[in-house]
Amino acid sequence: MSSVNEPNQNNETGRTWWRSLDEAVATEETITTAPGEFAEGSSDLLATGDDRRQFLKIMGASMALAGLGVGGCRRWPKEHIVPYAHRPQGTMPGNPEYYASCFDFGGIAQGVLVTSNDGRPTKIEGNPMHSGSKGATDAFTQASILDLYDPDRSKRVTYGGEASSMSAFKDWAVEYLPKQGKGTAVICEPSSSPTFHRMQRAFMKKNPHAIWVEYAPLTNTNEREALHHAFGGHWVAVPDFSKAKNILSIDADFLGAGPMQVQNTQGWSAGRKVQHGAMSRLLMFETGLSITGSKADDRFALSPAGLLAVAELIAFNGTGISTIEGSVELDDEIVQLLKDEFGTPDLVVVGASQPAIVHSLAAKINERIGAVGNTVSYRQVANGSNATLSEVVAGMKDGRVTTAVIVGGNPTFDAPQELGFAEALEALNASVCLSYYNDETSQACKWHVNQAHWLEAWNDGTAADGTTCIGQPLIEALFGGLSASEFVAILAGEKVTDSHTLVQTTFNPNSDKWDPAWRTAVHDGVVANTKTIEKPPVNRKEMPLVSGVTASAQTVLFTPSPTVWDGRFANNGWMQELPDTLTKLTWDNAVLLSPATARALDVKQGDMLRIEVGGASIEIAALPVPGTADDCFVLPLGYGRKFEGRVCKGAGVDAYPLRNENMWSAPAKVTKTGTTYPLATTQMHFAVDTTPGKGAQDRMPLLYREGTLDQYNKDPGFVSHIGHVPHSLSIYEEHQFEGAKYKWGMSIDLSTCTGCNSCVAACHAENNIPIVGKDQVLVGREMHWLRIDRYFAFAKDSHGAYDGDKLESVAIQPVTCHHCENAPCEEVCPVAATVHDIDGLNVMVYNRCVGTRYCSNNCPFKVRRFNYFDYFRRDPLRSTGLLQVQPDYYVKTQSGGKTLRAMQFNPDVTVRMRGVMEKCTFCTQRIQRVKIATKNAWVKKTDAQKKADPRVAIPDGSIVTACQQACPADAIVFGDLLDEKSRVSKLHKEKRSYEMLEELNIKSRLKYLARLTNPVHGATVVEGAHH
Amino acid sequence: MTTLPLKDNTGENPSQRAQLILNHTSFGSVTDDILKGNECPKPPRSWYIALAISFSMMSMLGVMIGYLIFTGVGVWGNNNPVAWGYPIVNFVFWVGIGHAGTLISAILFLFRQKWRTAINRFAEAMTIFAVICAGTFPGIHIGRAWLAYWLFPIPNQMDMWPQFRSPLLWDVFAVGTYFTVSLLFWYLGMIPDLATMRDRANSKVKAIAYGIASLGWRGSMRHWHRYERAYLLLAALATPLVLSVHSVVSFDFAVSQLPGWHTTIFPPYFVAGAIFSGFAMVMTLAIPARELWGLKNFITTRHLENMCKVVLLTGSMVGYAYSMEFFIAWYSGEIYESFTFINRAFGPYGWAYWIMVSCNVITPQIFWFKKARTNIVIIFIASLLVNVGMWFERFVIVVTSLANDFLPSSWGMYEPTYVDVLTFLGSFGLFMTFFLLFIRYLPVLAIAELKAIMPEADPHGHGHSYNEMEGETDASAKEMEEGE
Repeated sequence: MSSVNEPNQNNETGRTWWRSLDEAVATEETITTAPGEFAEGSSDLLATGDDRRQFLKIMGASMALAGLGVGGCRRWPKEHIVPYAHRPQGTMPGNPEYYASCFDFGGIAQGVLVTSNDGRPTKIEGNPMHSGSKGATDAFTQASILDLYDPDRSKRVTYGGEASSMSAFKDWAVEYLPKQGKGTAVICEPSSSPTFHRMQRAFMKKNPHAIWVEYAPLTNTNEREALHHAFGGHWVAVPDFSKAKNILSIDADFLGAGPMQVQNTQGWSAGRKVQHGAMSRLLMFETGLSITGSKADDRFALSPAGLLAVAELIAFNGTGISTIEGSVELDDEIVQLLKDEFGTPDLVVVGASQPAIVHSLAAKINERIGAVGNTVSYRQVANGSNATLSEVVAGMKDGRVTTAVIVGGNPTFDAPQELGFAEALEALNASVCLSYYNDETSQACKWHVNQAHWLEAWNDGTAADGTTCIGQPLIEALFGGLSASEFVAILAGEKVTDSHTLVQTTFNPNSDKWDPAWRTAVHDGVVANTKTIEKPPVNRKEMPLVSGVTASAQTVLFTPSPTVWDGRFANNGWMQELPDTLTKLTWDNAVLLSPATARALDVKQGDMLRIEVGGASIEIAALPVPGTADDCFVLPLGYGRKFEGRVCKGAGVDAYPLRNENMWSAPAKVTKTGTTYPLATTQMHFAVDTTPGKGAQDRMPLLYREGTLDQYNKDPGFVSHIGHVPHSLSIYEEHQFEGAKYKWGMSIDLSTCTGCNSCVAACHAENNIPIVGKDQVLVGREMHWLRIDRYFAFAKDSHGAYDGDKLESVAIQPVTCHHCENAPCEEVCPVAATVHDIDGLNVMVYNRCVGTRYCSNNCPFKVRRFNYFDYFRRDPLRSTGLLQVQPDYYVKTQSGGKTLRAMQFNPDVTVRMRGVMEKCTFCTQRIQRVKIATKNAWVKKTDAQKKADPRVAIPDGSIVTACQQACPADAIVFGDLLDEKSRVSKLHKEKRSYEMLEELNIKSRLKYLARLTNPVHGATVVEGAHH
Repeated sequence: MTTLPLKDNTGENPSQRAQLILNHTSFGSVTDDILKGNECPKPPRSWYIALAISFSMMSMLGVMIGYLIFTGVGVWGNNNPVAWGYPIVNFVFWVGIGHAGTLISAILFLFRQKWRTAINRFAEAMTIFAVICAGTFPGIHIGRAWLAYWLFPIPNQMDMWPQFRSPLLWDVFAVGTYFTVSLLFWYLGMIPDLATMRDRANSKVKAIAYGIASLGWRGSMRHWHRYERAYLLLAALATPLVLSVHSVVSFDFAVSQLPGWHTTIFPPYFVAGAIFSGFAMVMTLAIPARELWGLKNFITTRHLENMCKVVLLTGSMVGYAYSMEFFIAWYSGEIYESFTFINRAFGPYGWAYWIMVSCNVITPQIFWFKKARTNIVIIFIASLLVNVGMWFERFVIVVTSLANDFLPSSWGMYEPTYVDVLTFLGSFGLFMTFFLLFIRYLPVLAIAELKAIMPEADPHGHGHSYNEMEGETDASAKEMEEGE
């Protein structure tokens, strides 16, 4: 064996090369068998070459073992759920299979359907049978598949930073864990898993003196507290937006990122379809601009104190009762609106940032207006905590707590800064951390146990409406590792600790693997009829009228990051590069402030601000966002991880050091530092008083068409009057598509699209799109095939000039390839690398592309993406150096460090090399799969049947693009335009439908449905929103 | 021979012909003078210094191209809205420079503009080298440079032809044809002079090399007859190319639908601009060359003045085109089109636009004045400014149109990287290296043709030749002009 083949394990920080996953895992087994890329003895045979038959036997056996079954990626699976001794009926190598599973996020189980390609999970979709998903997903769920193949994930158990083993940890747990749990504190993430809670009870039974604390920085503790007062017990509100007609939101970004984003979006968008000339109305009061705010019909930006004043105004009918220290004046406009014009809301929702009193008031209002049981229900949740995090830290400091057990989560990073959690934890002699990465908390603990990805272990969970979900693994744990339930089971001294048995026992202690109910539940991913939402008992206790909100000059607000949430997705490249819907920022967080405040502080985008809250301060780049309340500074959390992941390293600034327990807003002191920091936004900002800024405002009404409901009811065809297009002729003969059997088209509804980014993430996952890194985003080379354009429309001042402080509306518009019939890109390609197929797809022939980039220049939508480098071979992403060449740049690594990442690739989609143009294909691989299946079925039909269906029609809805499948708002519809009855045909014919840049005579196959809003003063708007 | 004091031959008297070759009365001395630079055993030190600099710059170009091909076009500043940047700007810039050669050699020849003979040889050389520089850029600018040959209609096993509707393909043909014809024209015209050099060679190597290159030219009447027929035919063939090559280059932009590119004025505007920049470059090269190589008797002030007039004319045409673009953008009532032009002047790239306007439109206006047309320093500075302005014109067209097109969401800014800049500078190294080698090893002026325009060449004067009539001197012509 040459030295190249020897496993390199000598350093932790440098890049390590592995030939196989087993080597990367470096369990004792593989180390002793290494060098053992091939089956035992095969290398000797290769070397001598004298016994070919023996060699083939061994290799044949290896191949038979490899690539089969759930455990296909490991050569010797130890455990089989369904062993593949023979190929099961109906499976075909190369054909993907789909398994239901569930993903616990923020204490709510997201139902998913995972695509498995020959044993590799490659794509996550929503589970249509799951009540919170109905087949759709959010961006986090889409991106969590990439975490599975993250090369930075923890691969072994360590003790004091040194490699250890699982058995050593288990021995330790048996021997050294304090008996009866004396001095033991367990800190876990909120979990919806019944099995986890069962294990928690088992643990507490065995260790009655242990402290158990549930902690996550973004838990909606205020709501819990308020509802605890209101109903007793522990409750969460589950609103149903589909039934609500008049929604009032106080800083509740219910359409934004969060565990209930999917079902909220589904409900809200259902109410936004114009039915009999009516649609729901949303009135939003908020501080920062959220995507809910951007979709609201009427929106007001208020400081936190102002929001409280609004809540009090509604709750107390303007009787003047107030809990605010200091005075807050509400605009007459707001008072007027709330008093008369808006009418009675039928649902009031309140954001996590609001003090408990507001949640309490909202619960009362909802009861008063009869919303409870109708538009909002409540669900009781398990509460395992018998102490608070601050008590635990106090215990750590005074010696009452000697052993800390941390189950998931990352409190060292995100615990309230006032507690001094990290120092207290580090001082302990006995500490254990189960975590997915060897992260900040793990590094502070003595023991680190690597956590299994949720796709690697059995789990269960509870949906928002209480439905029980069963999650099956898709792959044998790549690096060993334990699920949270398994981990607690071990600590609880359970006899059986494998996740499969644990979950099945929770389901039904008497069920075996042939139990049909269990098999159905595993298959469906949900257990039928387990919904637990209800109308809770009436209000019991009044909350004290204390809010603790002070009307202050400068206020800082903490929000979850829509891309990395509380920091858990920070090492996920897709999420880091996912542009925030409203700021379009990637790879960083920034403090968001209103343009007026930015002017007052004399800062522009990228200027650093020092933010002081109490005694702590951070420095972070400023990013003005219109629509933010003046003098308010919005700080997204979760960035600035200290963990040295190759993706999250150096991304953003950590805002947790400013945050105390359950703090969502605080008085702050903000000053300009004078330094700057580059912020990589995917859309450039042009002030409205500059030539490009004005130009952009001028053309917006043409590109993004919107109107009010009243306008639509008066003239449903108003959209076509916004821009008239003369009849145009093409210089070349246009495509006739004679003999075409299908005519693919897409429709995107701007009314319901919230810009949740789920489609962008789904496209990323489906189409093997590379991430390019911050330096490349800064020069404008991001690769997203589907992007979400965001425009701010400003009102005109008295001189007819746009006023950059008066935000009138926010346009959110997904843009992808329009598959123009007269495609401008095709005409200019000198090598015919982009051409039309007969069904009207504008297809890219990667093999033929030489990379003149002329097509991109001629594309009016600029949706074409060019591979300026071999992005999949540039790693790490953030430091390319002068030569921009990575050591592995020229090396084709079939094995080694890249294998793990490559396992996610969709085998149906080419991985593009540098120098090649790429773009949206309308998921041609999905179209082909259905087409082939339909044609194969057609061939087997009788002649009479064939005659009846000469076109080999594909049933509407059987082809679903990745973006459409992920979309929770049902805003994207794809289908066959030749089929008159298809949804897309009907939508294209709708009067709201328009073609962007129709005047170019490009005949695009993608049409938008103009946005309709339903503002209170909608009737007074006459001609277009911005004319 | 020492350089004689210069005569002023810039007078305009319609009744007389100005003297185009000064201080020479014999054919022999013309040959001696022109070939002095080639035949001296050691060229001046400045030539060595210039060559060293040019050669290092050319090597830098090689390094940059190597780096580019090994790494990816991402080393440039090109990005998503601005997918074409420096490389295409440079391509159009060099093609434009290469334009003057054919104009001087073909059109001015057909129009019997005798003054062209003093500048046509190195203008043609300049054309060849500029087109080589230009040709480099499209080849290296594509993402997979090793597949550049797919742009040519070569029969292949894939049975794939290029896509004939693409202007880039037309470019390949137009530039290819232009280069071939220019090269042939240049070479054909050089044959008698190469033969002269062969005959005067002082070493065997030179004799053999020039001997091969001169294709056995003996100067017989039949040779001259064939030569002049061929030359005339090539001139006629090359004439349409003057219009075609830059028209086709302009199609790269005009055929697209991008606001700011999609303009019918582009073909004539590009041709005028190309002639403009070509003449400016001829002057930029001629002024130092005549100084260093002692060619002031052949490239006289009158030649420069004529070129200044061409520059003034074409510069004004370019200025007209600029204003016409604005007018049409406004007149069309099309918001994207009008925005593009307002944005060009007042948007983020306004500085580039105003550099372009001041260099290309305002600077040449100085040539309305004869004092400026005959002042070498002013001409040189103006010609340099025109070159700068014409580069910026291409920058403005390529970059500003792409940076802000239809959808504001995709708008971006373009910033060149050091690789962009060094590659561009390197192309000057390539150009200058070729040019310096040319003036050392090839006849820098058309010796045979120059002799034909000397009065001595026309023994059968009919009263039109210089010095045949009384008082026919440059001085008297000047006096007459001033007296008017």
